[in-house]
Amino acid sequence: MTEMQGIIAGAMLTLALGIYIFWPENAPANQSEKSRLDYLLERKEQLYENLRDLTFEYRAGKYPEEDFVAQRSLLENETALLITEIERVERTRPGRIALRAR
Amino acid sequence: MAAFGSFALLLALALATYNLFAGTAALRLLANGRPARISSDRLADTARRAGIASFVAVTAAAVALVWSALTNDFTITYIAEHSNRALPAPYKFAALWSGQEGSLLLWAWLLGGYGFILRLTHKTEVKLHAYAGTILAGVEVFFLAIVNFAAPPFSLLKGAIPNDGNGLNPLLQYPEMVIHPPLLYLGYVGFTIPFAFALGALMMRYPGETWIKVTRRWTLVSWLFLTLGIVVGMHWAYGVLGWGGYWGWDPVENASLMPWLTGTAFLHSVMMQERKGMMKSWNIWLIFATFMLSILGTLLTRGGLVSSVHAFAQSSLGTWFMVFLAIVLAVCVLTYIFKRNHLKSEQRIESLVSRESSFLFNNLVLLTACFVILWGTLFPILSEFVEGSKITVGAPFFDRVAIPIGIFLLFLTGVGPLLPWRAASLQAIRRNFLLPALAVWATVIGGIAAGIRPWQDSTFDIGRFYALVAFALAAGVLTAILSEFLRGAGVIARQTSRNLFAAIYLLIRRNTRRYGGYVVHIGVVVAMIGLAGAAFNRNVESELALHDRMGIGPYILENAGGSQDTNTNYNSESVLLDIYRGGKRVFQVAPERRTYLASDQPQTMAAIHSGPGGDLYVIYEGTDSDTGHPIIKALLNPLVGWIWAGLVFIVFGTLVALTPSLMPVAATVRMPAARTAPAEAALKGGD
Repeated sequence: MTEMQGIIAGAMLTLALGIYIFWPENAPANQSEKSRLDYLLERKEQLYENLRDLTFEYRAGKYPEEDFVAQRSLLENETALLITEIERVERTRPGRIALRAR
Repeated sequence: MAAFGSFALLLALALATYNLFAGTAALRLLANGRPARISSDRLADTARRAGIASFVAVTAAAVALVWSALTNDFTITYIAEHSNRALPAPYKFAALWSGQEGSLLLWAWLLGGYGFILRLTHKTEVKLHAYAGTILAGVEVFFLAIVNFAAPPFSLLKGAIPNDGNGLNPLLQYPEMVIHPPLLYLGYVGFTIPFAFALGALMMRYPGETWIKVTRRWTLVSWLFLTLGIVVGMHWAYGVLGWGGYWGWDPVENASLMPWLTGTAFLHSVMMQERKGMMKSWNIWLIFATFMLSILGTLLTRGGLVSSVHAFAQSSLGTWFMVFLAIVLAVCVLTYIFKRNHLKSEQRIESLVSRESSFLFNNLVLLTACFVILWGTLFPILSEFVEGSKITVGAPFFDRVAIPIGIFLLFLTGVGPLLPWRAASLQAIRRNFLLPALAVWATVIGGIAAGIRPWQDSTFDIGRFYALVAFALAAGVLTAILSEFLRGAGVIARQTSRNLFAAIYLLIRRNTRRYGGYVVHIGVVVAMIGLAGAAFNRNVESELALHDRMGIGPYILENAGGSQDTNTNYNSESVLLDIYRGGKRVFQVAPERRTYLASDQPQTMAAIHSGPGGDLYVIYEGTDSDTGHPIIKALLNPLVGWIWAGLVFIVFGTLVALTPSLMPVAATVRMPAARTAPAEAALKGGD
C-alpha cells in the first residue's frame, strides 16, 4: 500500500465512522434518575438474599439453633423497618404505579 | 501501510478526545438540567458512538502493524527491529507486543476493546455507563497520545532499507510468550473498567450498590486474565530462563503481583458492601489502588526505572506515565474529598470472630503483602534518590516476608467460609472447625512421620517448617471447602431427593458465585502446595563426557551423545541424556542451546520431564573450555506441577462464578408479628 493509498483508505475510514457517530438517532437511550425508592427496593432484595443464605446455612448445620434464631430475628427486624420505609416513601409518591411485588 | 496505520491512530485519538469532551459536556448538561441546543442524551450518544468508532480505528492500526510484520515491511522501524524474514508466522504476530511501541498499541487496542463492550451494553444503566465511558475515554486519550506522539509504532526507518530485520528477542520465541503478554495486558487493562465504574459511581453519587453488580463480571474477568498472565509468565520463566525457578521477585513480576493482590482484596471486601453496605470508602480506594498499581507496573516496565528481564529500553515514557499517574491520583483524591459523605457505612463490624472480620483480616494481609512488595520494588529507586546509590532488595527479603504472609492468607482462606456473618458463638466455632482442625493435625503428624522434619541434623530448616505448616493448613482448608460442598449438597439432596452428585451440581448452579469462589480457593490451595514444594528442590551440576553418569534423587543421567541442527531461524546444539531409574532406562531428555541467526543471541532450552513426583529439569549450560565436554545441570523440583494444576482450578472456578446463578424459587417467609409492615411478605426463597 502506497502512502497515497493509505491516506485515501484513512479518509474513507474517517467518513464511515463520522457517519456512524452523527447518524440521527431518534430515541437515544436515557434513564430516569434513580430514586430513593429504587434504592430501598434494591436493599430489600439484598436483605431477602441474606435471609435465604442464613436459612440455608442453618439447614446445612453451620449455625446452632439459638444463633440462627438470634440472627434471623435481627435480619427480619431490619427487613421490616425497610418495608415500613418503602411504604412511607410510596405514600409520598402518589403518581407512582403501585409497587410491584418482588 | 505505515501511512494508513498512522492515520488510523490519529483518528482514534481524535475520536477518543471527542468522546471525553462531548461525554463530559453531556454529563454536565444532565447534572445542571438546563435546556441546550442539543439534548444531553443525544450528545452523550454521539460521545458513546465516538468511543466505539475509536476502537474501530485503533483496530485498523493494529491490523496494519501485524500485516506489516507478516509481509516483512522493513520500511517501518519497529518491524525492522523486532522481526525478520525467517521468523515463524505466530512470532511475527507476537511482534505486535514484543517492543515498546507495539505493546503500547496493544494496550490501547485492548482498552478500546473493553470500552467497545462497555459502550455496547450501556442500556443496563445508561447514566452510570455514560460516566464510566467518559472516564474510560480519558484513559484512552492518554494511551493513544503516547502511541501517536511518544512511541509511534509506524515511524519510518531512516536511511537504506535493510533486506532483513533484527529478529525477535530469543527469550520471546517461546509459545507461552505469544499468549503471556496479551493475558497480562487483558488483566491490567481490564481493571480500568471497574475503576471507571467506581469513579463514575462516586462522581454521580450513585444510590445503592448496584454498580458493584454491574462491574462484578468486569472485575472477575480482569482478575482471571491477570492471574492467567502471571501464572503463564511463571511457566515461561520456568521453561525459558533456564534457572529452574518460576518466580524471581523481579521488579516487573512484582509489578504484576501488586494489582493482583489489591484486586483480590477488592473481590472479597466488595461482598461486604453488597450484603451489608459496609467498607464503601475502603472498596473505592482498593479499586483506585488496583488501577493505579497497574499503571505503576507499566511505568516500571516502560520508564527504565528498574532493571528487569522484562523491561523495555530506557525512554522518556516514564515522565508520561508519572504525569498520568499524578493526574489520576489527583482526580481520585479530589472526587473522594468532595463526595465522601456518599460513602458512609450503613453497619459496623459487630464481632471480631465473624465472616466480616475474616474479610477485613484478609484485606489487611493482602494489603500488607502489597505494601511490602511495593517497598522492596521501589527501594532501589528510593535509595538512589536519598543516598545516591542503588541498593537492590533481593529475593531473600521477599521470601522472608512473603512466605509467612502467604501462609497466614492460606489460614484465612480456610477460616473465612466457616465463620458465620455478624458473630460466631463458641458452639458454632466448635461445630464448624472440628473437622478442618483434625485434618491439620493429622497432616502435621503424617508429614513428620513421612520425613518432613524441620529440625533435621540438629539444625532448624525454616523452609521445611514453612512447607509443613503450608501442607497442614492446605489439608485444613481443603477439608473446610469439601465440608461446605457436602453440607450444602446434603440440604439439597434432602429437599429434592437427588443423589449427591446431582445435588452438588444443583448447589453450584444455585449460587455460582459462592461455590465458584470455593473452587478458586481449591486452586489457590493446590498452587500453594506446589509453591511449598520448593523447600525440597535439589540440584546437581557436572561435566559429562560421553557415557559419563550423574545422579539426582531416584534418577541417573547418562550422556548418550549429542546432536546439532540448523534451520533458517537458529542453529541448535543438544545433549542426549538417557535417564535411568532403579537400573532401568525410563526416558530420554535433550536439553538444548540455540543461537538465533538474526540477532546472534544464544538461548538455553531446558528439558523438563514432569512426573507424579515432580519435575526433572535439565539444562545444557555449554561446554568446558578445556575438555570440550558438555556441562549439565539437573534439578529435581517436586510438586511444581501442582502450581499449574492450581491454575486449572482457578480458571474453572472463576468461570463458574461468572455464570449466572439459577433464579430462586418463590416462597413465603414469615415476618415478625409486631411490625407496621405486613405480617406476611412474599419473598423469593431458594430453600
